[in-house]
Amino acid sequence: MSLFSRREFLKLGAQMAALLGVGAAMGPKAASALESMAAGEAPVLWLQGQSCSGCSVSLLNSVAPDPLDLLTRYISLWFHSTLSAATGHQCMDLINDGIAKGGYFLAVEGSIPQGMPKACVIGHEPITEQVARAAKSAKAVVAVGACAAFGGIPAAEGNPTGSVSVPDFLKEQGITTPVIRLPGCPVHPDWVVGTLVHVIKFGMPELDAMGRPKAFFGRLVHDQCPRFSDYERENFAKTFSEDGCLFKLGCLGPITHADCTLRQWNGGVNTCIRAGAPCIGCASDKFAKAKDFPFYRKGEAKAPQGGHS
Amino acid sequence: MTETISIDPVTRLEGHYAVKVELQDGRVSSAHSSGEMFRGFETILKGRSPMDAQQITQRICGVCPISHGTASILAQDQAYGVEPPKGGRLLRNLILGANYIQSHVVHFYQLSALDFIDVTAVLGYGGSDPVLLHIKKWIAGQTASKSVFPAAPFLPRLKGDYIADTDLNLGGLRHYVDALGVRAKAHQMAALFGGKVPHSTALVPGGVTQRVTADNIAAYGAMLRDVQQFVDNVYLPDVVAVAQAYLGYFEIGRGCNEFLAYGVFPEDNGEPMLPSGIFSGGSVKAFDHELITEDVRYSLFDSPSGLRPGQGQTNAAPDKAGAYSWIKAPRYGGRPMEVGPLARLLVAHGQGHAVVKPMIDGLLAKLTLGPEALVSVMGRHAARALECKIVADRCAGWLDELRPGMATFSDFQIPDKAQGMGLTEAPRGALGHWINISGGRIGGYQCVVPSTWNCSPRDDKGTPGPVEQALVGTPVADLDNPLEAARVVRSFDPCLACAVH
Repeated sequence: MSLFSRREFLKLGAQMAALLGVGAAMGPKAASALESMAAGEAPVLWLQGQSCSGCSVSLLNSVAPDPLDLLTRYISLWFHSTLSAATGHQCMDLINDGIAKGGYFLAVEGSIPQGMPKACVIGHEPITEQVARAAKSAKAVVAVGACAAFGGIPAAEGNPTGSVSVPDFLKEQGITTPVIRLPGCPVHPDWVVGTLVHVIKFGMPELDAMGRPKAFFGRLVHDQCPRFSDYERENFAKTFSEDGCLFKLGCLGPITHADCTLRQWNGGVNTCIRAGAPCIGCASDKFAKAKDFPFYRKGEAKAPQGGHS
Repeated sequence: MTETISIDPVTRLEGHYAVKVELQDGRVSSAHSSGEMFRGFETILKGRSPMDAQQITQRICGVCPISHGTASILAQDQAYGVEPPKGGRLLRNLILGANYIQSHVVHFYQLSALDFIDVTAVLGYGGSDPVLLHIKKWIAGQTASKSVFPAAPFLPRLKGDYIADTDLNLGGLRHYVDALGVRAKAHQMAALFGGKVPHSTALVPGGVTQRVTADNIAAYGAMLRDVQQFVDNVYLPDVVAVAQAYLGYFEIGRGCNEFLAYGVFPEDNGEPMLPSGIFSGGSVKAFDHELITEDVRYSLFDSPSGLRPGQGQTNAAPDKAGAYSWIKAPRYGGRPMEVGPLARLLVAHGQGHAVVKPMIDGLLAKLTLGPEALVSVMGRHAARALECKIVADRCAGWLDELRPGMATFSDFQIPDKAQGMGLTEAPRGALGHWINISGGRIGGYQCVVPSTWNCSPRDDKGTPGPVEQALVGTPVADLDNPLEAARVVRSFDPCLACAVH
C-alpha cells in the first residue's frame, strides 16, 4: 500500500547488483556505515519536560529514514515515554541504569520548570533533577523543539512555573555537557535526524552563536519564501486567504531563521506560508514570549517589533 | 489484605501520568489518578491578543492540536460574530478528520498494541516478509551483541498474558510498522489544508487561510483512499481479532457509565455529523453547557472550587495539602462523565444515527455481545476503530463537496469586549474553550479538555473520576506486573498535556 521503503529499495538494489554481476562492495557505503550505528554506539535517552509531545509526534513523520529505520538502524532508543513498552517502575530502572551506564546522547523535549520543580514529575522525581543528572552523564544534549531550545510557550511572559530552556537550566546548574538547540514548534523531523546523525557519527555540527546547527537555521525564512516576489513587487495580502506577501498580516519570516519553506513539512506536502498562513516565528528564540508581540497584525501596516533573530 | 501499587509513570500515552491502585484479594479496590505536569496556559494567555489563542492553545497538545485550534477558533467565531463560508467549514472538517484518523491509528498500534501483541514471536518467524525478517534480525542481533537495553523501546515490557497465536502476533507487529506510515499519511492530509501538523497555522477565526485547488483535492483523495483501505482491511479486523482474544476485557474497566459528547464536524444544516448529548441509564438526554463546573478540592490549585468554565480560575498551589493531581475535576450536574469515541458513538447510537447504529449493532452481533459490553476496555478500542472508519468515510464526502476557488475565509474585526464559547470534540472526547475579551485583549481563557474529564481526581464530594472508577474491580494477577490495570488506563487514550494544560 505504500511506496518502496528505503529498506526495500536497498534490497532491490542488491538484487539488481547481483543480476548485473556487481559485487556487494559496490553497495551504498554511507548507508551501511549509518546502519551500524544502532548496533550499540548510538544510544539515545529521550526525556520529556514541560512538553506537548508534538516534537515526538513530528519525529514520527520522518520520511527518510522512516521511524522503523530510525529505531533499528540509526539509534538505539533506550527510553521514550510515548513509545517504550516499559511501564511504571521499569521506566525508572531504564532511566537510572542508562544514566549509570553513560555514553548516551540525551534528547530533551519540553522546557524545565526551574521555579516550580513540582510542576513536572516522573516516577516521583522532579524533571529538574532527572534532566540534571542525565545531562551530566551524556555525551551531548539535544534540546529538541521550541520549549527545550528557548523555553517556548511554558516560559512565555507571565508563566506561573518559572520555566526555562534546557541550555539555560544546565548553565544555571553548572553542567558543561555540550548542548545543541533545535528550535521549532514543532521541530522538523529532518532537523532531529540530521543533528543526531551528525553528532553521533561525525561529531558536533557547526553551530551558530545561539547553539543552533547552521545547516538548518542559517538563513531567514523570508529569504527562502515562496512569496518573496510578491514582497519585492509590494503585492501584500490585506487579509487571510488572499494572494500576496503576508508581511502586513504579521508574518515573522523576515526575522526568523529556519529552512522550513524549502524543506517543507509532512513529507514535503506544504508549508505555513504556502497555505496562506503567516509565519509565526516558531523557530525564533523569542517565539511566543512577549504578551504585546502578537502572532498576527491583521489590518495593520506596521512592521513587527521586537528582537527576533 | 490490602496492597498498594504505583504505576508511575504510565507510559505509551501523552504526557506525565501516575496511577496508584489499592488491591484487595487481587482486585483493584480503589484508584488515584495523578496528572504530573503543569504549564499554566490559561494564565499565559491572559493579556495577549485574542488571535494568539488558536496558536498558543494548539501547543497544549502535540497529538490533538487541531482540536484545540478548532475549539479556539469556534470560540473566536462566536466572539467576533463571524461564520466561515462553506469552504472554510469543509476544510476545517477535513483537517480535523485527518487528525482523528492519525490519532486513533496511533492509539491502537503505537500506544496500546504492545499490551496485547507478543513482539518476541518474531524471533521464530520463518516467512519472507522483509520487514518482519529485518525486525527478527535486529532483535536477535541486539540480544547477541549484549546491547545495554536490547530491542528498546519494544523491550523490556511488563510480564503478562500476551497473545499466544503466532499469526496474530506477527500480523500485529507488521501492522504496527504499517500504522506508522498510515498515521504519517493522515498527517500529510491534514497538512495539505492546514499548512503543517502538529500545530497547524492555517486555522483562523472566520475559516481557513488555505484555498481549495484541484491538486489538493486530488492529493487528499489519493491519500484518504490508502488510509481507508488500512482502516477497513487492517485496523478494524485487528481490533476484532484482539477483542476476540480478550473477551474478558468486555467486562473490565466499566467506569462511571455516564457519557458526554458536545458534537463535532458541522454539516451543511448546521448540525454536527456526530451529535451532542448525555448518554445515561440507556437513553440520551440533551446537553446543557451551563451544567459544567470544575472542582479543585483534590487538585493542586487554590482558586475557588465549583466554578463554571466561563468564570474559571487557575492558581497553582504545588504544595496544597490533600491534593494529588494537577488535573481539575470537571463535573456535569455534579457528576463525572466519560468522554471520547465510546461516548460519541453511544450518544449517536442512542439517537438512532443512520451510520453509527447499524455499525455498532453489527459489531455486537458479530461478537455475540449485548450493548452493556461496550462500556469496557475492549468497547473503547472497538468504538475508536469504528469511529475512525466513520470519520474517514465522511471525509470522502466532504472532499466531494469542495470546488476549486470556493471561499474558505470570512473577514472579521476583533471587538474590544466580547465572549465566546467553542465546543468541539477532540479524538479523546469533549473539548471546550471559553474566551473573554476585554480591551481588545484576552481577559480570561479556560479550557476543559477530554482527559480533564476522564483522568480527573476526586471531586469535592469525594466521587472518583472516570479512570479511577474504571480501575475498580480490575483483577491484577502479579503486583510487580500490573498489566491489566495499565490496559484499563490506556483504553481511555489519556493525554496528560491536555488534561492539565
